[in-house]
Amino acid sequence: MHDKLIQKLEILSDAAKYDASCASGSAGKRQADKSDKSGIGSLTGGSGICHSFTPDGRCVSLLKILMTNYCIYDCHYCINRVSSNERRARFSVKETVDLTLNFYKRNYIEGLFLSSGIVGSPDLTMESMVRIAKSLRLDHGFKGYIHLKTIPNASPELQAEAGLYADRLSINVEMPTQPSLNKYAPEKDLGAIHGAMNTLKDKIAEHRVEKTYTGKRPPRFAPGGQSTQMIIGADDSSDKTILGTSVKLYSEQKLRRVYYSAFSPIPDASDVLPLKPAPLIREHRLYQADWLLRFYGFTLDEIVHDNMLDMEHDPKLAWAFRNRHIFPIDLNKADKMLLLRVPGLGARTVQKILSIRRYTKINWIDLTKMKLPLKKLKPFISVGDYRPDIHLLDSNNFELQFKQPKQFELFGG
Amino acid sequence: MKAITITSVPGFEAWRDASRMCLAESISPENVIWQNTQHAIQDDLFGHQEATEVLNKPGRKHTVPKAALALFKYAICHSDDTRFALCYRVLWRLVYENKNLIQLKTDDDIIKLFAMAKAVKRDAYKISAFLRFREINVGGKAHFVAWYEPEHYSLELKLGFFQTRFKNMRWSILTPYRAAHWDTETLILEDNPDSSAVPDSDRIESYWLTYYANIFNPARIKTNAMLSQMPKKYWKNMPETSLIDDMIKQSDARARKMISDGSKH
Repeated sequence: MHDKLIQKLEILSDAAKYDASCASGSAGKRQADKSDKSGIGSLTGGSGICHSFTPDGRCVSLLKILMTNYCIYDCHYCINRVSSNERRARFSVKETVDLTLNFYKRNYIEGLFLSSGIVGSPDLTMESMVRIAKSLRLDHGFKGYIHLKTIPNASPELQAEAGLYADRLSINVEMPTQPSLNKYAPEKDLGAIHGAMNTLKDKIAEHRVEKTYTGKRPPRFAPGGQSTQMIIGADDSSDKTILGTSVKLYSEQKLRRVYYSAFSPIPDASDVLPLKPAPLIREHRLYQADWLLRFYGFTLDEIVHDNMLDMEHDPKLAWAFRNRHIFPIDLNKADKMLLLRVPGLGARTVQKILSIRRYTKINWIDLTKMKLPLKKLKPFISVGDYRPDIHLLDSNNFELQFKQPKQFELFGG
Repeated sequence: MKAITITSVPGFEAWRDASRMCLAESISPENVIWQNTQHAIQDDLFGHQEATEVLNKPGRKHTVPKAALALFKYAICHSDDTRFALCYRVLWRLVYENKNLIQLKTDDDIIKLFAMAKAVKRDAYKISAFLRFREINVGGKAHFVAWYEPEHYSLELKLGFFQTRFKNMRWSILTPYRAAHWDTETLILEDNPDSSAVPDSDRIESYWLTYYANIFNPARIKTNAMLSQMPKKYWKNMPETSLIDDMIKQSDARARKMISDGSKH
């Protein structure tokens, strides 16, 4: 390796930093066989290990690079669009493979997250990406994580081949609506993106069956499923529109994860874009809302009251303000779904409460021992020896006691 | 009083054997003093040891829930010297007081036990995350060496992980209390290894630093989020952390430049 490669790495990792998804989602367990004398790597079962953290609070889990930042498309929000004056570079298949293996051997990463600008044609680009994944798997016995950002307009055959080597495939929807795509990504078509997602969804389902009629296990196909990303705040879509799109992607295309990326100004930006970054708190609130939709039993209408989420308070607290009549909730009696709705109780805490109360009655002292956020909980709960002041929830300035909570990264990006 | 000296670290097997014996003889937790030779513990407050009190109970087999055993395994790796006594006390209470004690997450002993186990789990996880290998050449073959300073005795918990992931690599992991050497087939443990064998450079490290510096977005600094996951105590053995101060210092200027470059058009 030599200095030219350092320059390429500079350009092609810099160009990849706008992609929010970094985590390697769970794709089951995998390791080299006992008889395998050259393979390397493993998947540990859970979500991937965060090997480092950068000052933007994001975890470094994968070697996240572009194969090339040359691109024939002209998406306005994208630093790599054809009309941008960025320096350009391209990794060869071998360079990408070597870099991945060298990083992996030093325990820097869990694997590779490869995306690319479109060079030549969608098929030519996709073909090179597949060759990288294939070489890692077949030539080097690589058992680590591979995430390919597939090219929406590439042929279904290439998409299908990609799934044989990758753990996760993703296609970015980028914008929640077709009109926004028309304005910001003129070459992209929401219908085609959904079509590609549906193809992958069917393939994933097809390969997930335990055994085929011949009694053999089908080969693995993207066992980590699909994910996607939407850019927030470049267009004027409301939070309700954005989350509505997510709900559909989760239910119809069976996506594992939707990432939200607050628009951040890019060098050499196009005129149609806003000059200011979208507030990070909006991205944070969208992730919180996304979590509540998926794991806490909330519906879209419950979470987004108007068109936008409350930036001042987290979406669960905001929902509680609008539904004061159901509180206080008795921690010794309420069922799981109701406990999950209490501001300040996370899914894990709810599980703990359910387990404790099988053996003993919960009192105030127990809450302090569990180190729960008592100030937040206080108005919303009752336990054996505590009930909130009856007027507390009724008071007009009730919301004032909840100052803006400190911002922190709940989700590893 | 019964005094038990555990001569190994972390000492799980020794603790388990001794606990079995104490339990068989019905020696209550107040009457056992646990010592670890790594840190000489003084006699109890009275300065002398009384005859072992044996409760008059016939010996019988005690069963302990699997979940409890798993917790003990982690907690025993903690660097806190009170770990043996705590684990024995919980064991005793599981047998004589409540076999569901582990579920009582508000019991003081259980809170402490969970906290210890959690600290060890996190410590062990961080080994698999933050350990960095450096490549050297030994007799024409690549050998990967790492120096790591865990807070607890948690190296053992992760050896399986490294053997699986880097099965066909030759590697050595050195910690202040123990080293593990793997030659693609056999694992050899060595106590109190010599840290001078650890290389201070690696041919790929500059690529890693380049990647680290460029993958971060200067327009969104969240230092606290980084620090909560990667506190400074881990930094000294992670080469990329030497860049962090400058990355933060220059981030404002870089982010402003991104915006001003953007508005030129």
